[in-house]
This record gives sequence, structure tokens and C-alpha cells, in this order.
Amino acid sequence: MTEAALLPLAVAVPLLGAALLAVAGRILPRTGCDILATGCAGAEVVCLVLLWTHNSGRLATADLGGWPARLGIVLAADPIGAGLALLVAVLVPVVVYSWRFFEEPTGEHAGAFPALILLFEAGMAGFALTGDLFNAFVFFELMGAAAYALTGYRIEDPRPLHGAITFGIVTSFAAYCSLLGIGLLYARTGELNLARLGQQLASHHTDLLTAGAFVLIATALLVKAAAVPFHFWLPDAHAVAPTPVCMLMSGAMVELGVYGIARIYWTVFSGPGGIPHQAFHTTFTALGLLTALLGALMCWQQRHLKRLLAFSTISHVGLFLIAVALLTPDGATGTAVYVAAHGLVKAALFALTGVLLDRYGSVDEHGLHGKARDLRTVGVLFVVGALALAGMPPFGTGLGKALSEDAAGRWQPWLPAVFVGASAVTGAAVLRAGLRIFWGAGPALRSRPDEDETTGEGEEPEIRSPQRTPPRAMTIVPAVLLGLAVLVGSLPAIAAALARGAAVFTDPAGYTAAVLTHPSTPPGPMPAGDWTATGVLLGLLSTSIAAALATAAVRKPSPTLPAHHPAARLVRALRRSHSGHLGDYLAWLALGVAALCIAIAAQT
Amino acid sequence: MTARARLAVFLAAAAVIAAFFTAECTDLPPFGTDSHPYGERAVAAALDRRTANVVSSVNFDIRAFDTLGEEPILFGTVLGATLLLRQARDERHRRAEAERVMPTTRLFGALLLPVTLVVGVYIVAHGQLSPGGGFQGGVVLATALHLAYVAADYRALKKLRPLAVLDVADSLAAASYSLIGLAGLIAGGAFLKNVLPLGTFNTITSGGTVPVLNAAVGVEVACGLIALLAHFLDQTIERTDPDQQRYGDT
Repeated sequence: MTEAALLPLAVAVPLLGAALLAVAGRILPRTGCDILATGCAGAEVVCLVLLWTHNSGRLATADLGGWPARLGIVLAADPIGAGLALLVAVLVPVVVYSWRFFEEPTGEHAGAFPALILLFEAGMAGFALTGDLFNAFVFFELMGAAAYALTGYRIEDPRPLHGAITFGIVTSFAAYCSLLGIGLLYARTGELNLARLGQQLASHHTDLLTAGAFVLIATALLVKAAAVPFHFWLPDAHAVAPTPVCMLMSGAMVELGVYGIARIYWTVFSGPGGIPHQAFHTTFTALGLLTALLGALMCWQQRHLKRLLAFSTISHVGLFLIAVALLTPDGATGTAVYVAAHGLVKAALFALTGVLLDRYGSVDEHGLHGKARDLRTVGVLFVVGALALAGMPPFGTGLGKALSEDAAGRWQPWLPAVFVGASAVTGAAVLRAGLRIFWGAGPALRSRPDEDETTGEGEEPEIRSPQRTPPRAMTIVPAVLLGLAVLVGSLPAIAAALARGAAVFTDPAGYTAAVLTHPSTPPGPMPAGDWTATGVLLGLLSTSIAAALATAAVRKPSPTLPAHHPAARLVRALRRSHSGHLGDYLAWLALGVAALCIAIAAQT
Repeated sequence: MTARARLAVFLAAAAVIAAFFTAECTDLPPFGTDSHPYGERAVAAALDRRTANVVSSVNFDIRAFDTLGEEPILFGTVLGATLLLRQARDERHRRAEAERVMPTTRLFGALLLPVTLVVGVYIVAHGQLSPGGGFQGGVVLATALHLAYVAADYRALKKLRPLAVLDVADSLAAASYSLIGLAGLIAGGAFLKNVLPLGTFNTITSGGTVPVLNAAVGVEVACGLIALLAHFLDQTIERTDPDQQRYGDT
């Protein structure tokens, strides 16, 4: 099949599947629905694998409706965009498959959950593949509409509804900002196609309108990417969403925010009349640093496992932002590999947490101390996942981290320390929880009722099996995901394809030429995508720091800083700022937008 | 944050954003000039496809893929409402009560309902010719049905509202948009290509696939909106919380 067919099919297949499921759910029994959903998700994987192999390192384009870019919408996929869509497509069958075991309303509502998952997938695929600014916004909204409903799925508990409403309102608020930004750009240029927007901006000098439009458009993407201080919705939503939804949100949706920022910057704003490279570079490195450090610090403080994993995602997003902000092909390669492997590892860790939730009705690190000793396989996988998160070779997370460190180190020699630190601390936090829960390591922890923290106790099990042993598939799924993460790191073909993709991704002139005139442009010089000795050593270093930190934490549970110590105060203030209060989150969001406006305007 | 701190932070940030936005707007091109880059291209393209309503041509032909993404947003919202407003384990169902309505109100509703339905169908069917189309007409159609609730009571609305049929029609209409897109791919080599005969300009059969897509969206919006409201109305009218059980007859 040609790219003109494969690109729109990648969006149309899950859309059709969702409609089909909504109807079939009324007639088919539960098993039939699950087979149908898995079939649709499988068809999407085939479609994207074909696309991925078809466009070997080029930009594949499809003029929808036969209209050229000056009038209509053009889909454009390079290996990075197609790769992200493929990552989503790989996670969805896993999610749909594990959904088999979950309780679901019957009768006329059957099939609604998998149908929404497929709509969510269609939104993410469309966002990753489109070459049009407004169309990207449409798919951003589709992603959101599906994700809010999925987050609030467990309606018997008020917490999921609260999490979903916070998620929905914060994201919608940011989406309005983006729409304003798109309006400003359209008013100036009369264009919505990314490539043509970039061309038209070049005929005008950079002024406040350009800077403001960029900030406003970036707002929605930063909220989706959960960059600090736009991140508050994420831990609240992840703590309450059903486990399969967490796998998709942390594994792929959040990363799409980073992708969107990079894609829109490179195609629209990187040329003359846009935002100077230096301004993007400084601002987003600072934002990434803040996100990576705060995410790691908060991750270490959690005992609610899902919140812990959510903050680890935030910390990693910070690292992705730093690598993307380097604005080099090497940085883009590193991020691409890192995102792919991180998505798989994080999905595996959420799946393992789901096993605990099912078995014990709790995801509390302290409450579960030593309780899961007999779940040895789950425990081993959890620890392996923690080490992978810390960047252990040969996992893809290690390779992505090594490549990003290498690229970042060439600009600022101290930046690799941030990568090592953030990945070590988040890995250590997960490892600590794993050692305590599955091996009962260290003394049992007394709960401190005077401290305001989210415990993670009293959660409802999600699985419908009457016997309390987890289905075998619940351990096979994470094992397969971790295996795929090893493949990302050890199969040179994958990293090489992503490196070729990064060369295309960071070449706006080639993008414009491919979208507007369709020549088969040869990609530029290919960045490296291999392991280096330094990379392996830094990966081992962060893994051993993680192991050391986790062991120390387990041995000596509560570091006894006096309550009035400035560090203890800072941590307490930070924890209190994650108040769950919607008004607080919107105030932080507004503060973030104002700060970005000032930062970008001052540098243009 | 305390309420005061929250307000202070928000107002300070909002003031900065407002100042920037105002300054940005002064950089916008002035109103009333002759330069409409996209408008000129879109009008020429729409006329070339013999679609009199250029807005419909943009929505359902030139940028039809946007609508392919917008339509599932509504579809997903309906599914989401189905999921979130399902009967919780601690909720009981009770039958809506008959309400006393003035006969004149009832008569007014009975007269207005068919008229509104016709207006809705007209707006959907003439989307390619005059302002309106599937989205607008669909909303009118959904509103028409709810006149039964406004002018009579919930029981009357429920009699007029075959919810299962509407749900299935909603899904099928959502699927048909993608299927028309695929038909364009097979027949014309591009997804959502306008492959049907274009007809005579300014007649109801003009515009090729535009009226067909309009009809699909019209059905989807009408059915989706009715189903969406049905979930909310059911929740408020026919469900009781455990602490309100004294009203309930399960």
C-alpha cells in the first residue's frame, strides 16, 4: 500500500473500530467485544508497521482529499512521528488485552471502554502524523475528550471523578490558550499548514505577536507534557485512572506533548521571523531542568505507587525537554530512543502495580511492606523495571539516556549529571518500593497520621476474578513490555532508524520541500545511534546510584531532618503545593504562561 | 495556597498575560483590508467544486479531515457520558412522575415540534447551499425532540426517544464519515476525495460528497446530542442516591 493510503488509515482504522465496538457491544458477549477490540488494535499495529518500514528515513506525505497544502490538510510522517504512533499502537493491544480481566458494566454500556481507548488511540495517531496546526489541535482535543472519560471510569469512588475533572479543566484552559495562539498566527499568515506557516513567517520580522503565539500554542502542549509548573493534573489523574489508562497516558500521551513542541518549533518557528534558537534553547532547558529536578524530588517523597510512577514520568519529561531543547539531531535521536523505551518500561511498571492493586486493594508502599513475598515473578519484574528506569544497559532507556547525555554534554559538560541524577533518583524510588513490598526489606514503617500525604490505601481492586490470584497474563504482559524495551536498546536497527528520523525531524527545509513539492529529499548526515563506552559507564553509574540510594532508604527509613530545617521546609512546601485544589493548579498554570511570555519576549 | 494567595498569584499572572496579549493584538493586520490570503483560495476552490456555501466546502471538502477528527470528539463525549453516568452500585432507579402542564403549552409544543424537525432537516440538507449544515441542523433536530420535555413531561420525551436506535444510529453515522473517506481513497486515490458527481451549482444535489458528509454529521450530532442529554436527564430525574431513598420506588 502507498503512503497516501497508510497515513489516513492509521487514523481511520481506530475510528472505525470504535464505532463498530459501540454497536457490537450491544449484541456481542464480553469475549466477542474483547476479540473485536484486540483485532482493531492489531490492524492498527500492522498499518503503522507498514508505514514505518515503507518510509525508511524519509518524510511520507498524503494530501487529504487531493488538496495541496495551500488549501487542505497534509499528513506528514517521518520515522519519529510514525514511531510515536507505533509506540501508541503497540501499547493499545496490550491495554485492550489486559482489559479482558477487568470489571466492566454490562448491558447497553458494554464496549464503551474499549471504544474510548480506540478513540484515544485515533487522537494520538492523528496528532503524531498531521502536518497541519489546526488539525493537530483537533486531535489534541480528541485525545483529551477520551482521556477525561477514561480517567473518571471508576464512578463509585469520588476521587477518580475529582482527578478527571481537574485533568479536564486544566487541559481545556490550556487548549483555549493554544487556540488563541493559532488564531494569532492565522491572522498574520492566512496559513495553517506547518510548512507554509514557517515560510510565511519568514517574510515578517520577529515581533511580540510571533513570541506570544508561540507561548500560547506551547501552553497546551506543556500541560500535556506535564512540564513544571503545568504538571499538577498528572499525578492526580494517574493516581485514580484505571491501570491500563495509566499505561497509555504515561507511556505515550505525555510524550506526545514534548513531540508537539519540538515538531511545531522546528517546522514553524525555527526559521527567520520565528523564535531565535538561543531563546528556545535557554527557556526550554531551564524548564526541563526544573521539571526533571522537581519530578525526581517529588517522586522520592511518594508512597502511593501510582503517584510515585507519575512523578517519575514528570522527571523523565524534564530530561526529554532538555534533550529536545539542544536543537541538534543528536539530541533528537537520544530523546526518540529514550521516549520509546521509557514508554514501554513505564507501561510495564504500571501493569505490575495493577497486580498489587488487584491482589491487595492497596498501592501503598508502607502498608504493603513484605505482603507480596509470594509474588516472586512480579517482584523480580518490578525490580528489573526499576533498574531499567534508572538507565541500566542494555535497556533502551539506558541507550536513550546515553545518547541524550552525550548530546547534552557537548553543550554543557555538567548536564549529563542531571540525567544521571534524575534517572537514578526515580529508579531508586521504584526500587525502594519494590524491595519493601516484595522482599519485606528493612523495618516496617509506622504511618504518620499527622503528615498530610496520599497513602494509596483503600483502593478498589479492578479485576473481576473471584479467586485472588492474578491471571498469568498479568505477569506476561509486563515481561513482554520489558523485553521490547531491551530490544529498543540492543537492536541497532531501531536506533539507526530513529537516528535517520532525527536527521529528517531537525531539517525544516527538507520538511517544507517534502510537504509542498514532494521530492524525495536525501536525509542529511545521520547522527550516531550506538552505545559508547561512556554511555555504558554512565548507565551503570546511575543504576548503581539508584541501588545504593534504595538500599540506604530501606535500611534507614526516615531521614531525621529537624522539621524547621530549610530543606525539610522546602520539601513540605512543595508537597503542600500539590494540593489537589483546582484553583491552585490554574493559578500555577497562569503563572507559568506569564513567565514564559516574559522569558521568550525578553530574548526575541 | 490560601484563597488569598491563589487569587493574588492568578491576578498578577493574568495581568501580565493580558498586557502581552493586548500588545500582540496591536501587531495584527488591520481590519478591512483587501488581503484575505486563505479566503480567496478557499472561495475559488469551493466554486470550482460547485459548492455555494464556502464554509461547508471548507468543513466537508477542503479540510474535511478536521471534521473527521471533530465528529469523534462528540462521539467520544457521548461514550464518555454513557460510561460516567451509568447507574452506580449505590443508585436506584425511579420512574419519572407525570407533570401537570397547561393545555395551551402542550398544544404549542405539539405544533412546534414538527415545524422544528422540518427546519432541522432543511438546515442539514441545505448545508452546501446556505448557512447551516450537519452540525447546526443536528442541534436543531435534537432540540426539536426536547420540546416534548419542555412542553409536556419527561415521560412524553421518553416515549418519543428510542434511545437504543439513536445510539446505534450515532455510531453508524460516526463510522460512515470514515467510510466515505475510504471510498474517496479507493475511487479517487486520496482519502476523503470528493469523488461524487458535482451536479449543478446552487442546487440541492451540488457539491459531490459535501451533502453526504453533511447528512452523516447531521445524524450523528442529532442522535449524539439526544443520547448525551438523555444520560444527564436520566441521572437527575430518574436516579436516587441511597440517602434519598424515601422518594424511590426502585
